[in-house]
Amino acid sequence: MKRTQLLKALVVAAALPLLYLADTSPDSAQGLTLLREARAVVGAPLTPMSVAGVARRTTARAAVASTSATSQQQAATAQQQQATAQQQAATAQQQAATAQQQAAAARPVGAPPAGAVVNALPAGCKPETRNGVEYQNCGGVIYRAAFQGNNLVYVVQ
Amino acid sequence: MQFTSGKRLTTTLTRWCGAAVLASLALAAQAQPTGIDPEAHRLLKASTDFLASQQRFSVDTRNTLEIVLKSGQKIEFNHTARSSVQRPNKLRAERTGDLVQQLFVYDGKTLALYNPKDKAYAQVAAPDTLEAMLELARTKLDIVAPAGDLLNKNAYDILMDGVTDGFVVGKAVIEGVRCDQLAFRAPHVDWQIWVQEGAQPLPRRLVITTRDLPGAPQFAVTMTKWNLKPGFDAKTFEFTPAAGATKVDFLPR
Repeated sequence: MKRTQLLKALVVAAALPLLYLADTSPDSAQGLTLLREARAVVGAPLTPMSVAGVARRTTARAAVASTSATSQQQAATAQQQQATAQQQAATAQQQAATAQQQAAAARPVGAPPAGAVVNALPAGCKPETRNGVEYQNCGGVIYRAAFQGNNLVYVVQ
Repeated sequence: MQFTSGKRLTTTLTRWCGAAVLASLALAAQAQPTGIDPEAHRLLKASTDFLASQQRFSVDTRNTLEIVLKSGQKIEFNHTARSSVQRPNKLRAERTGDLVQQLFVYDGKTLALYNPKDKAYAQVAAPDTLEAMLELARTKLDIVAPAGDLLNKNAYDILMDGVTDGFVVGKAVIEGVRCDQLAFRAPHVDWQIWVQEGAQPLPRRLVITTRDLPGAPQFAVTMTKWNLKPGFDAKTFEFTPAAGATKVDFLPR
């Protein structure tokens, strides 16, 4: 029937944009990265906008950080921001106390690099206090807690 | 659908009605107002002025945040929070009834962020007005208070910054409260606000649509409960870390 054919054509036409969107993003790993970041976002009542992408304010100024043309660019921006934060943390690390440098020297093989930021500690960590600052010793890798926006994260020392 | 001869008239009528509906929708789309309707302007200003004039209040909010995965799939996150404000320089915001607990306290001199379960807190010096503190929190610490712009006494200027179009959608009911629904359009976002009818024109809902991201994700906050006569005490805006809590830093942005 002609009507049925028309209906089918319409359904296909309507579905095309969806297929297109799905097709542009085969890289699920990135999607998972975003999701992990988003999970971190959930941990906060006062959520940073830049990670989530969606504007939480109405002003253009606020939206600038989150209005790149594609989600890929969005992810790239988020990664760059994270990289910058890591570099900054790494710089801070370089200026840190001798005790931390010694710990870094004794870093286990395959340990995350100094300055890396993680959302959760690995299992089996023990608190250690050095110069009045609390660290977590996780199998020889030393972490220090910090707030990144609203999210409590751990920075590898 | 069936096309038996007995139903031909009905079908024809349905088609005509359908066509009429489509035509009216098309007209409605074309007739979407441009510029800012003075009535939308007035209703919004009444609301922001009213809230700016409130020296002490608390508000419970339900926040919904959408993110769009690279696959195009949209994911929604929800949380509830209570914000307590005492102008000109005190704020307490706490996440309530949720898996994750977090407390934010600004006492006019410092701001503190505390995760009770992690026993970790950060505390930094802060400017002496609510407005300057919100700006610092947002720009330097990457912290945005739930509906923070509405708490700002200059909420009107912030909301209307860059707005090109605005109109009154009509009447609506939010959480059982009759409201005027207003819609605005700015360079990167479309936003809507629902303002309570009557002598207390409180904002009841705010929706921000980031229209130039794929999937046009939205942030929505519903003000589920306003209290304009809150029972604050000396401890409401005071932060004392729990025994054994660890002080941590904010990572630089």
